Amino acid sequence: MKKYTLLAAILLSFAALNCGGDKNEPSGNGKVEVIFWHSFVSSTIPALNELIAKFEKENPGITINAQYIPTGDALIQKLITAIQSKTAPDISWLHSDFMEDLVNADAIYKMDDFIKGDDGISDEDLNDIYPALRLQSSWRGTLYSLPMEATNLALLYNKDMFKAAGLDPDHPPKNWDELHEYAKKLTIDKNNDGIFEQVGFFVPVFPAAGPQGPWMVWQFMPYLWQAGGYLIDSAQTHVMYNEEPGVEALTLWKQMYQEQKLSSFTTDFDVAFTSKRLAMAMDGPWNLPRYKDLLKNLNWAFAPLPAGPKKQATVVGGEYLAIFKQSKHPKEAWKFLKWMIRPDVQAFWAMKSGYLPIRHAVHNVPEFQKYLTENPDFKVFVDQMDVGQAQRPIDYGALEVTQNVSQAIERSTLGKVDIKKALDEAAVKSNKAINKK
Amino acid sequence: MFNTVPSVQVDKVLEAGKTSQRPPVSYKKKNKKGDLPSALLFLSPTLIIFSAFILFPVIFSFYLSFQKWNMFSGQTTFVGLDNYIRMFQSAEFWSVLKNTAYYTFGTIPLNMGFSLLVAYILHKKIFGKKLLRTLFFAPVIISPVAAAVIWRWLYDPNFGLVNYFIGLFGFDPVNWLNDPTAAMFALIVMGVWKTFGINMVLFAAGLQAIPENYYEAAEIDGAGQWAKFKNITIPLLAPTTFFIMVMSMISSFQVFDIVYVLTSGGPLGATKVMVFYVYEHAFKYFEMGYASAAAYVLFAILFALTLLQVKYMKNKVYVYGG
Repeated sequence: MKKYTLLAAILLSFAALNCGGDKNEPSGNGKVEVIFWHSFVSSTIPALNELIAKFEKENPGITINAQYIPTGDALIQKLITAIQSKTAPDISWLHSDFMEDLVNADAIYKMDDFIKGDDGISDEDLNDIYPALRLQSSWRGTLYSLPMEATNLALLYNKDMFKAAGLDPDHPPKNWDELHEYAKKLTIDKNNDGIFEQVGFFVPVFPAAGPQGPWMVWQFMPYLWQAGGYLIDSAQTHVMYNEEPGVEALTLWKQMYQEQKLSSFTTDFDVAFTSKRLAMAMDGPWNLPRYKDLLKNLNWAFAPLPAGPKKQATVVGGEYLAIFKQSKHPKEAWKFLKWMIRPDVQAFWAMKSGYLPIRHAVHNVPEFQKYLTENPDFKVFVDQMDVGQAQRPIDYGALEVTQNVSQAIERSTLGKVDIKKALDEAAVKSNKAINKK
Repeated sequence: MFNTVPSVQVDKVLEAGKTSQRPPVSYKKKNKKGDLPSALLFLSPTLIIFSAFILFPVIFSFYLSFQKWNMFSGQTTFVGLDNYIRMFQSAEFWSVLKNTAYYTFGTIPLNMGFSLLVAYILHKKIFGKKLLRTLFFAPVIISPVAAAVIWRWLYDPNFGLVNYFIGLFGFDPVNWLNDPTAAMFALIVMGVWKTFGINMVLFAAGLQAIPENYYEAAEIDGAGQWAKFKNITIPLLAPTTFFIMVMSMISSFQVFDIVYVLTSGGPLGATKVMVFYVYEHAFKYFEMGYASAAAYVLFAILFALTLLQVKYMKNKVYVYGG
């Protein structure tokens, strides 16, 4: 019988080890624990920890347990499995492209449930948030999340290379023509072997099926808007990215991509920029803390994105926080969201993390004003919030439309397919997706 | 309780050579009824894991292939054969199948040829045989993600070692990962590098099972190196070769990890293989039903191929023991 008792003991201990408590149990000292899923890169974590410490000091009964999930595909996949297995977090980062699915699965609260509640937010406060961000926090007109921070896209450039090429380092390109011209001047083949040792401007083309496909599309949007185009019509019946402005924008990309032979260039533009092989690239504010140290061997600066033929525009992104219906502590979770949009908290967060504030009132915070004068690069981003295109997210089929556009971009630049053809074929697929309800 | 096959019986089998007689074995039968509960108890961990992680998903996937489900909601919608019809009408599906075939028929000959060569050489008395075998097997155990990161750098058009080496011979740098034709070739090379170690070990075992006296007899008859290889080694390796071919075909058709990290199915979908296609539809587009259908089509193809191979080989390969 000895072997049976041993086997039984092993099986029992195996079972016991796996019956762990659930995540949302309050910790021993009676505090409420709020689980917060985010995808902040590691250089932002120290700032995040300071932010959480500040919140916990003002709200002694609550602890925030911040957990990192890689962004993009991984975040969506984890959320789905968590929702199905009833282990959803209290708060999570969200993007508008999968808000549709979360709403359909009835997984997140409408923000109005809290805003119009006892611990609510005034209309005045709400309207102070930049419109682009309010639109992207909603789905079909209903607010399902609140923005935590904003980002946009600006032009990073190497001043030393400008000087060396005979360009004025304090006059970055102001429009598409200058961008194209400067890129040509800054693309250098030192020893005439057909390979460019230095490339002027990084056109962000990545494999469409890969994890950076959506990132590529996000960076294409300003060009579409600057040419006067739109992704989709306002009634959301058909896509518009394959019309003349889209063709114009993609033509600019294709020309620069092929002229600079970017298919033989690395896709890690920050590595290329750091190793002085790239003169200009587009980037967001989240890298500012990293760059202060990483790029200290060269003269760099950020400039507003060059304007297009019809207007100046940049793409606004951000991280939106939603509260999950499976949360056992929605009121405490809401406290965090509401606290997050206070002007002084926004100023604190912006200065520590390099992210952009979500509302105008932050400009009135004196520390923030001082910070802006001391950090001109950051100021470039903050100023661009005013030309951030406010675009209502796609109601249905957003993920698919993004995929279609990314395929069209890849096919015309790397694949040398005719631009109009690639865009039209993508548009056919997108129109099916948005009308599929 | 346990069957015992004394080693002397195995030798008899080898001497019997190409007969299909069962070798005599002695059974020690015990009362079977009393063994069942304890057998089940010992099997239970494996049975539970097998049922939960293999049996259930296989059955559920079959069910899902006739449904539409986006994983967010709790409901699935029955769509009959729609997923399958859509798949066979999709140009992308056929191109994905073609890519998978390219990959498979590109890696298998290279893989088997190379692993046999290495196993054969290491079968002789070479200095540092064990160390060399370990080194050759190392790629198999390296994490595919780590390996792919390294190979991405090797293939980098400007900084990569591969282009550096071919440059030494006067060739132009090739855009390995961004050119559709070159990318498949680059993937095949990496695939072979990653997996030939397993086949090498299997071939080494097969080579070891060939008795020395056959070679000695051939030498006496004046056979040279190549004649010995062709007439003794290859025929007697047949069961091992058959096994390796079947397994390699299955695993090549199922390649995913290195594709995901090296090329993400690009450029322009040139390296998008079946399993990547399934992954994309399941976890990028959240079309679980369609992805399940694609997975079953892959299964059907592999099943048919394996059946073909078994039928073809049945008469040509003599498996020990009948």
